[in-house]
Amino acid sequence: MAFEPKEPQKEIKYSEMRIYTDEELNNYTEEELKNFKIKHDIPDLEELEKGPWPSFVSDAKQGALHRRKLADDRMLIDRDVIEDMLGQLQVSFNDGETHWKHGGIVGVFGYGGGVIGRYSDLPEKFPSIAHFHTIRVNQPASKFYNTDFLRTICDLWEYRGSGMMNLHGSTGDLVLLGTTTEQLEPIFFELTNELDQDLGGSGSNLRTPSCCIGKARCEFACYDTQDLSYELTTYYQDELHRPAFPYKFKFKFDGCPNGCVASIARADMSFIGTWRDEIRIDQDAVQGYIAGDFAPNGGAFAGRDWGKFDIQKEVIDLCPSKCMKYEDGVLTIDNSECVRCMHCINTMPRALKPGKDTGISILCGAKAPILEGAQMSTLIVPFMKLEPPYDNVKEFIEKVWEFWMEEGKNRERLGELIQRFGLPKFLEIMELPPAPQMVKMPRENPYIFWKEEDVPGGWDRDIKDYRARHKR
Amino acid sequence: MAMEDIKKAIVEFAETNKKTKFYFKDIEKAVQKVIPDAKMREIKKACTELINDGTLIYFSTGSSTMYGLKGRGMTEDPE
Ligand code: HEM
Ligand code: HEM
Ligand code: SF4
Ligand code: SF4
Repeated sequence: MAFEPKEPQKEIKYSEMRIYTDEELNNYTEEELKNFKIKHDIPDLEELEKGPWPSFVSDAKQGALHRRKLADDRMLIDRDVIEDMLGQLQVSFNDGETHWKHGGIVGVFGYGGGVIGRYSDLPEKFPSIAHFHTIRVNQPASKFYNTDFLRTICDLWEYRGSGMMNLHGSTGDLVLLGTTTEQLEPIFFELTNELDQDLGGSGSNLRTPSCCIGKARCEFACYDTQDLSYELTTYYQDELHRPAFPYKFKFKFDGCPNGCVASIARADMSFIGTWRDEIRIDQDAVQGYIAGDFAPNGGAFAGRDWGKFDIQKEVIDLCPSKCMKYEDGVLTIDNSECVRCMHCINTMPRALKPGKDTGISILCGAKAPILEGAQMSTLIVPFMKLEPPYDNVKEFIEKVWEFWMEEGKNRERLGELIQRFGLPKFLEIMELPPAPQMVKMPRENPYIFWKEEDVPGGWDRDIKDYRARHKR
Repeated sequence: MAMEDIKKAIVEFAETNKKTKFYFKDIEKAVQKVIPDAKMREIKKACTELINDGTLIYFSTGSSTMYGLKGRGMTEDPE
């Protein structure tokens, strides 16, 4: 199935948009790089260049040398920004504290997110980075780019910014590191008008939604993660760009429980593909694995002899709910006990596939440990069918937001609010019945309680009637 | 008309408060004190209009966002 864009796509041709010539882009030799010293002493940072792994210090030095050799009129912010950034970082290492001030009122017109003000508190020592703002650029679904786009954005950023980027931030986003206030509007104009490209989220708003590669390449995908991510990104533009939430809010979309974007650990609302019928079994392919015709795990365990594939040891015994059996040459699964861990499917992808009645589970409340420790998302909606334009999903999202915006304290994440209210109360507000799938261990998290109105006859009983049946 | 009243309440609150930066929630509470039936969405719309006409500006730390009156204690530089 060919890709069909939902809206007309602008074709971006680097040959027409480029700013630099090839000579300018490759303007130094290996020899020059080896002998290159930046203008500050950075002994601790240079420690980070040792060892076999890549180092941002080495990368930054390349950028610094590149800027040294560009002509004056070929960049619009100070030539020294990268050198000063490294110099200030060395001072931070010496002092054991940061020298970036926190926050500011920079932004682009009408947007409350996407630009993060950063200012040096040592502007006399490092004048070129007195203003050094970050810009977040909304990545496309599953981060599919073409090289024309990437080259164009690199040229634009070299010209109007520091040239340093981070692909990608943990929320997604191409992160452009460091430019002056004057360059913000021109960059925004070029991005939106020339590159057809929006900014991402920052601050107290919806952050750039991000999704796994989904149906574009992965046969495990139980729903079209790209489509849902794109739909919610465009539908919730106001929430993305005009912050009015108590704090940040993240959506992430995993096509199956393998969780390639780790939505369960990183999103206030995690959308995880699942199925409610049975795992599809191809018994011939099961025999193929046992006979050694197919490499288990798609051949991932190569490079060493792991011995003959043992279905009992490697699949059946590792099923967390012990719901699989291999007897008389036939593999069976008690699907009512399966917890959709994906282990068996990952091990034998030719033989096992997720069911056909697919949809999503929605979990809420993951967050990093600023308050109360890190937290994973908790299952709230065990199963929901999906169909564009996803009205049922939007209805749920808006109910959650309404509750959070009403009751959430300033800077309180959804997960913390749910903890403060308790899950039973949250379920009640969401008008969802408690379900066994929400409980991991009944004696460990017994948060499902009876209420008087749920019990026939309430809390009162006729003691005489009771005693007629139960002697003292 | 109601929108104008909400905007007025926002500006009054921002002008008279000791603080110069406000969370949306604080603005919401302040408006509802004056106009009890103002809805959260209307207040957000009013804030957006005040941002668009340049009366209010955003202050962002990168992780959370606040609103302030342009020119009142808020310079581009955070300190
Ligand atoms: C100094 C002596 C003891 C201390 C400090 C102690 C402490 C505790 C504590 C802290 C709990 C957990 C309560 C809860 O989770 O709500 C507990 C539960 C329990 N204790 Fe003790 N205990 C002592 C002696 C005993 C003795 C002598 C017995 C039995 C002969 C006993 C039987 C139990 C039982 C059956 C429970 C479980 C109650 C339940 O699950 O509802 N304990 N005890
Ligand atoms: C005819 C004799 C007994 C009766 C009718 C009886 C009845 C009960 C009842 C109704 C409960 C509450 C269960 C619940 O709320 O979940 C209970 C709990 C308990 N009983 Fe007994 N019991 C008897 C004998 C014993 C004896 C002899 C022991 C210990 C030597 C014992 C140890 C316990 C413990 C440890 C619990 C707490 C269990 C838990 O919460 O996990 N019981 N019993
Ligand atoms: S989360 Fe599942 S569907 Fe998405 S890319 Fe990973 S394995 Fe495939
Ligand atoms: S998906 Fe996991 S729980 Fe389900 S049958 Fe396979 S191994 Fe067992």
